[in-house]
Amino acid sequence: MTNTEVNFLKGQKHLTRRYRAEQRFQWMGRAAIAVSLTFLVFMVSSIFWQGKGALITTKIALTVDLSAEMIDPANIKGASFDKIIKLALRAEFPEATKRKQKKKLYALVSSDAGFQLRDQILENPALLGANQTIWVSASDDVDMLMKGHIDRDKPQSRRRLDDQQISWIDALSVKQVFNTGFFTNGDSREPELAGILSALVGSALSLLICFALSFPIGIMSAIYLEEFAKKGRWSDLIEININNLAAVPSIVFGLLGLSIFLNIFGLPRSSPLVGGMVLSLMTLPTIIIAARASLRAVPPSIREAALGMGASPVQATFHHVAPLALPGFLTGTIVGMAQALGETAPLLMIGMVAFIVDIPGSILEPATALPVQIFLWADSPERAFLEKTSAAIIALLVFLVLMNIIAIILRKKYEIRF
Amino acid sequence: MATKSTTAQSTLNITAGNRSKLAETTVKFAMILCAVVAIAVTIGIVLSLIFEALEFFKKIPLTEFLFSIEWSPQTAIRSDQVAAEGKFGVIPLFTGTLLISAIAMCVATPLGLASAVFLAEYASKRTRDWVKPMLEILAGIPTVVYGFFAALTVAPFIRMTGGSMGLEVSSESALAAGLVMGIMIVPLISSLSDDVINAVPQAMRDASLGLGATHSETIKQVILPAALPGIAGSLLLAASRAIGETMIVVMAAGLAANLTANPLEAVTTITAQIVALLTGDQEFDSAKTLSAFALGLLLFIVTLALNYISLRIVKKYREQYD
Amino acid sequence: MFMKTLTLTAVALATVTAAPAFAGRDQLKIVGSSTVFPFATTVAERFGKNTDFKTPVVESTGSGGGLKLFCAGIGEAYPDITNASRRIKSSEVERCAANGITDIVEAKIGYDGIVFANSVASTQFDVTLADLFLALAKNVPTGVDGEVQPNPYTTWDQVNASLPAIKIEVMGPPPTSGTRDAFVELAMEGGCKTFPWIKAFKKADKKAYKSLCHTIREDGAYIEAGENDNLIVQKLAANPNAFGIFGYSFLEQNSDTVQGSTINGVAPEFEAIAEGDYPVSRSLYFYVKKDHVGLIPGITEFLAEFTSENAWGEDGYLADKGLIPMTDAERTEWAEKITGLSNLAM
Repeated sequence: MTNTEVNFLKGQKHLTRRYRAEQRFQWMGRAAIAVSLTFLVFMVSSIFWQGKGALITTKIALTVDLSAEMIDPANIKGASFDKIIKLALRAEFPEATKRKQKKKLYALVSSDAGFQLRDQILENPALLGANQTIWVSASDDVDMLMKGHIDRDKPQSRRRLDDQQISWIDALSVKQVFNTGFFTNGDSREPELAGILSALVGSALSLLICFALSFPIGIMSAIYLEEFAKKGRWSDLIEININNLAAVPSIVFGLLGLSIFLNIFGLPRSSPLVGGMVLSLMTLPTIIIAARASLRAVPPSIREAALGMGASPVQATFHHVAPLALPGFLTGTIVGMAQALGETAPLLMIGMVAFIVDIPGSILEPATALPVQIFLWADSPERAFLEKTSAAIIALLVFLVLMNIIAIILRKKYEIRF
Repeated sequence: MATKSTTAQSTLNITAGNRSKLAETTVKFAMILCAVVAIAVTIGIVLSLIFEALEFFKKIPLTEFLFSIEWSPQTAIRSDQVAAEGKFGVIPLFTGTLLISAIAMCVATPLGLASAVFLAEYASKRTRDWVKPMLEILAGIPTVVYGFFAALTVAPFIRMTGGSMGLEVSSESALAAGLVMGIMIVPLISSLSDDVINAVPQAMRDASLGLGATHSETIKQVILPAALPGIAGSLLLAASRAIGETMIVVMAAGLAANLTANPLEAVTTITAQIVALLTGDQEFDSAKTLSAFALGLLLFIVTLALNYISLRIVKKYREQYD
Repeated sequence: MFMKTLTLTAVALATVTAAPAFAGRDQLKIVGSSTVFPFATTVAERFGKNTDFKTPVVESTGSGGGLKLFCAGIGEAYPDITNASRRIKSSEVERCAANGITDIVEAKIGYDGIVFANSVASTQFDVTLADLFLALAKNVPTGVDGEVQPNPYTTWDQVNASLPAIKIEVMGPPPTSGTRDAFVELAMEGGCKTFPWIKAFKKADKKAYKSLCHTIREDGAYIEAGENDNLIVQKLAANPNAFGIFGYSFLEQNSDTVQGSTINGVAPEFEAIAEGDYPVSRSLYFYVKKDHVGLIPGITEFLAEFTSENAWGEDGYLADKGLIPMTDAERTEWAEKITGLSNLAM
């Protein structure tokens, strides 16, 4: 063999090795994505599995006496609807005579049943005057039984409903319907009534504020630091400061919000306004860091060309550099807002970790947020809150996906490679 | 960098009238104002922590706080109790924070970087279009969910595996919390790094490939170095998020402050302690509550120092290509 | 295009922040303990439904945080009521007074049982307070009077030969929790006192006595598991050898997966706790700012709802939620104090 042939073969060998390395490298990337996505799929599907039950709720049919004796048609609101419900239950099961038994019987329907009856009558006064069959919500325990979360085979002492209660339920006519209340109600201590609307509105309002504050401020300061500030001690100081803010525990931002926004500015406690402001303090560093990274990646030739054509530095930056860095701005915003959407700790200090039934109508009314709702439900003793918790998480994820889609569409529109 | 242009400003601006000059000044002023917000927030944080932290140091000497190796705030909650003196040594909390963050970064850095490189360099446009936002969802799952997952799925699994290998594993472990936290911060690294890698000029790839380098060689020797400052930024952000995380730690790693480097033992972090202390039932002027402020301040100072060092390092290696 | 986006967001920002001045508050604000939270919210919800007042906002801030907010001042910006899983402290009363809040109404609402439970897959334990003390204290008596040693016990049978040989692993609340404090005070100290020499010690050196009786071991046998009791319950289901310390309402809701150990022969059941036979239970309170009565509408009505038999009575809806009611005599006494708005006496 000649020397060149040896070298050629060596080269071949070397080349195959390089190609193999290339393959390995690609597969590493695929594997990494696969691992992360597997995690995502696993978590999301297990949440879905647990949460799907919350979309269904159980209703019980009761024959109620709506004669004028019970309800005065002139004064419908003055009637004792709870009593009508209780009488209807006792008429159904006259064997419940002792106080304890009656209590167990009443526990089958939701404590809201009386109010539901009232609402149905107010909506349709024609019901009055005779015996009517109406549907009211079952209690959470009955709902759990119907969904199979209470094991009938377990001994009585190990389940929430005893044998007699189960026989009553079996005798009643019961149906499972889609749970619209979950999307239209505020929070409640009764799992069968609890809904996410107030938390959803609260989250939307505070994120709106958060975005309106952190996006312009974040991007303006990133542009300033990257494109205009003289590199020196001051810009270093600001840079270190911003990076450092990213590591500040989120609850500390809550403390800051408490002392400045609430105590000094006197803004209302528990309001989405303050919540959004605190969250924006938290997302600012993320947005600034991401925005600066992407500004840094815009090739200097773009700036030089613009300046060379006579654009002022501000024009060069805003007309030429910033649009090219926009995808990066949006990524930073997505990641930052995603974090803000899932945050509970800073809201604690400014009063948003709270029980709020009413749907907030403005940014100044008391509100809570989705992650807070999840946190509070996860901490509730009632078993029925378990599926509510998962369902609320799904709602949060849907919210997140919708938010991301907007940003992704924008990001795609502006993405360019040089 | 762009600041080359500041000197050129006056000469190039001849055509611009007074009106646009005024507009430019306004824009610049607004930008400076925005940048100063960061400083204002920092000052605000220090001010909101320092007074109560000083109260704390009146009760517990600074040296004990910094150098004692035991954290056990078992002071009494009610006034009629005399109870044991609390021990407020911050070292176990620091090592716990470092341990958990290090585990998280060990998971997230390879996963995140490999994903970013694959998405930016190999994946088809369509794959990238849907994989990237999918990964970003990981960052938005509320931490309570990760906490439950870590505590109820990962931790028992680790205990079982460890047990079958004859290892002593406690039911709460730094490993469980760190692993899950690592997954959570993957998108911070992958998405930001992907943007940065994507922004490296195509000319550089073409040049490297034209010289006969394989794609992976081009990435390792040309693109990653060019994208380094941005990647460093994303890693820093991910590390910051790991240090600041509380829920996963409270649920999966517990609140017991053990001074250990063993990832199979229960540890706790500074932020988890701060949240527990601020939301506890103890009286608000006890050393226990006040220690939360001291912890916050200390963490602030330490991360400030770390950021200073990393800025120096990044600066040293920063290069700009075109 | 880019400038336009920025301007638009700036305009949006301006409209958002230029908010109208807020009118007077017509909604009760309640803050405080996470243990009392489920009960206070139940009452708040009923109150909102049954009356024309708005449903009060109830925050879960922890007892300490709640009292801090409560004592910050008088006026619409400050909460009207704070919940506490312990009694207010004199230093807190002083802080309140410094801010002009001198008239505080104290309300005791009932009891919360603290259970010691494990998975139903395991055997039910029958422990004494002394067993709990020996298993969980940092230092335990050696057997010789006056001598203590670092806790050497690793399995339950070492503590008490009648218990199974299972590793001691107890998940409980962290030292910042009122549940932990009550457990230490009632269970640990209760067990500690059963040693005659320690009991005698109480008078001689109270501080050392408390330090011995109140300090929980930190070698890993006691796991500080955070405040989420549901998580503890689920962890117990996953680990049959572990025990958990948590509130009675969680035991009641999860009777299919966890069982409460009997303590000193008494099982943690509703009646036993209500009658005071079960040794580990604590009182729950809330505090009302008297100066806000008349300032914020609905306070007296809310108090009336809370103290009605329908709410805190033996068959009231709070009992359904897991609150252990006070005895009839106690309830009458407290209802009188609360609705009469009598001032707190320390």
